[in-house]
Amino acid sequence: MKNQKVLAYCNLFAVLRNIEYLAAHDKESKAAVAGKNLSIQFKVKNGPSGQLVFKNGSAEMREGFHPSSIILFFTSPEHFNKMIDGKANPIPLKGFTKIGFLTGPFMKLAERLSYFLKPTEALLSDPGYFKMNTEMTFYTAFSALAQIGNRDRRGIQNAKHIPDGTVQAAIGDSVGLYITAKNGRLTAVKGFADKPAARLVFKDLKTAQGVLSGKTDTYAAIAVGDLVMKGFIPMIEHMNPILESVSGYLS
Amino acid sequence: MKEFYTNQKSQELFKKALKYIPTGIPGHLGPVQSQFIPADAFPFYAERAKDSYFWSIDGNKYIDYMCAYGPNILGYNNDIVDRAAAEQLKKGNCMALPAKAQVELAELLCGTIEIADWAFFLKNGGDATSFAVMTAKAATGRSKTIRVQGGYHGVAPWTQAEGANGITAADMKDIIVIPWNDTAAFEKAVAENKDSIACFIATPYDHRIFADNALPLPGYWQKIREICTKNGIVLIVDDVRCGFRLHIEGSAKYFGFKPDLACYCKALANGYNISAVVGIDALKSAAGSIFFTGSYWSSAVPMAAAVACITEMKRLDIANLFIEKGKKFGSGMIDAGRAHGIDMKFSGVESMPFMRISNDPTMEMMQDFCAECVKRGVFVVSHHNHFMNASLTDADIKKTIAVADEAFAAVAKLHPDKIN
Repeated sequence: MKNQKVLAYCNLFAVLRNIEYLAAHDKESKAAVAGKNLSIQFKVKNGPSGQLVFKNGSAEMREGFHPSSIILFFTSPEHFNKMIDGKANPIPLKGFTKIGFLTGPFMKLAERLSYFLKPTEALLSDPGYFKMNTEMTFYTAFSALAQIGNRDRRGIQNAKHIPDGTVQAAIGDSVGLYITAKNGRLTAVKGFADKPAARLVFKDLKTAQGVLSGKTDTYAAIAVGDLVMKGFIPMIEHMNPILESVSGYLS
Repeated sequence: MKEFYTNQKSQELFKKALKYIPTGIPGHLGPVQSQFIPADAFPFYAERAKDSYFWSIDGNKYIDYMCAYGPNILGYNNDIVDRAAAEQLKKGNCMALPAKAQVELAELLCGTIEIADWAFFLKNGGDATSFAVMTAKAATGRSKTIRVQGGYHGVAPWTQAEGANGITAADMKDIIVIPWNDTAAFEKAVAENKDSIACFIATPYDHRIFADNALPLPGYWQKIREICTKNGIVLIVDDVRCGFRLHIEGSAKYFGFKPDLACYCKALANGYNISAVVGIDALKSAAGSIFFTGSYWSSAVPMAAAVACITEMKRLDIANLFIEKGKKFGSGMIDAGRAHGIDMKFSGVESMPFMRISNDPTMEMMQDFCAECVKRGVFVVSHHNHFMNASLTDADIKKTIAVADEAFAAVAKLHPDKIN
């Protein structure tokens, strides 16, 4: 069952976090954030707090509350989730002079986010879009996994069984995100870990797209070697039910 | 260049299976659950089996150390057992009434297993453990079960972990999980749940997957027995996997204690589908008070097979035979590994050893080692204990060690930084 608070954490730290990726890889997003040096604090009552920092053309999402140029307040996780769905507006608490950034560049980023995370078959036929969508979906899914494992009731039950250590998820050897488990708490970090205890590697973008979208059977992908699990498998086994629940939150 | 086994037909059939069967091969024989890493090194389907070997549908022959995860104890398609089964099949199998073989088997089990005053027959190990727990509840009028963390007792909801798919909080309400070899945790759980613990269920020793197997500490089972007796708790031994491999009279005999109920399955009939719960006389009426049955539970063929199998196991002094074979297998593997700078660690009882590479915490070296063995015709897995069987010859073990030698050489090349 979808818990609104857990969903808010997923939306902030898995979905909205993709702005980092857009600022780095999408031409239109790059143009939108070029020369912008400011930060937006998202503050959700009874929910997550996170800061999106724009600096020198890049974007970075940080967890917690930090001094910011703009503060956007949400009265509840439901309020924040509706904003993500485009059905509600935030309450600006600080940064009225920078409202132009919200209605201009930030709106553009939101549009691009929606564009890349809501694919159609026609869009996916474009190789550039396919790559962007697949990589963003990958980051979203595994980032959300950590949020669900730390906050969803069933997610917590599974996370507590994950032995301490790091699981490396990757698409080939170029796109990576690793999840570290310690005492049942999960942390997701983009990139490649030095010594992961286990690895879950999609052979290529096509495999990742197929498995993450549910079009390709996971077991088939493993059987033919397109999806490789290696290392201390109990970590992945206990992570899998959490990964499976991501679509329930974000589909 | 040497050619290794390939598995095209397995791969093709698996793709077809995915269309009709969830996950292609559900359960513990599936390529994911079986830790076939990398998957393409392993066969997925067997064509036939005899003695210690099976042949995959690609025509590859394997010396099999998984023994169907336990049921193969005398050798696949053992002539003595198959003849008894065939003779019973001519007379009748699944009928409106049980056959004489049911009584014959019960009598034989009661004369074989040390604690058995009666026997109750089912189909799978999970049927047996669930029935044993129900018997304990019926006998005590209590609701709670204590089991050991990492212990495997089948797939019924009460045996699984909360959070697993299909398992609810209600399924786990009356389950208390304690660490293995921890009598203090057991005493604490009993004290905190006074007069509500129906039973304690555990395997004779900790033969969990993915980890070194652990024997009971000296006095462990005797202390557990003492606490159970003092508190009116039914002591159940899940001897499904170990049964007859440690001691013909039951694994409890091997470790020197007497449970109230014991569950058997895997080795009972050399692959014919039957399981059994045996118990002490004091629990006979409780067992009889439970309505617990199934369409095929009284089938006569597996019972006739079990009679033949137990008789043959007794003749062979099977547990000691396995311990002897297991020692040869283990020492050969350790020596072969050492020759390549790889330190193998064995744990558990020799008849069903768990093996791993000692400086390999992520198990990647072991996964590579198993794949290299399988590609050369020796079927081993990285996560689970292995099994000896009576048909395994010294020549099989010798060939296995020769294959392991090649596999270790390949692993040493793949992991040069971890070689001693």
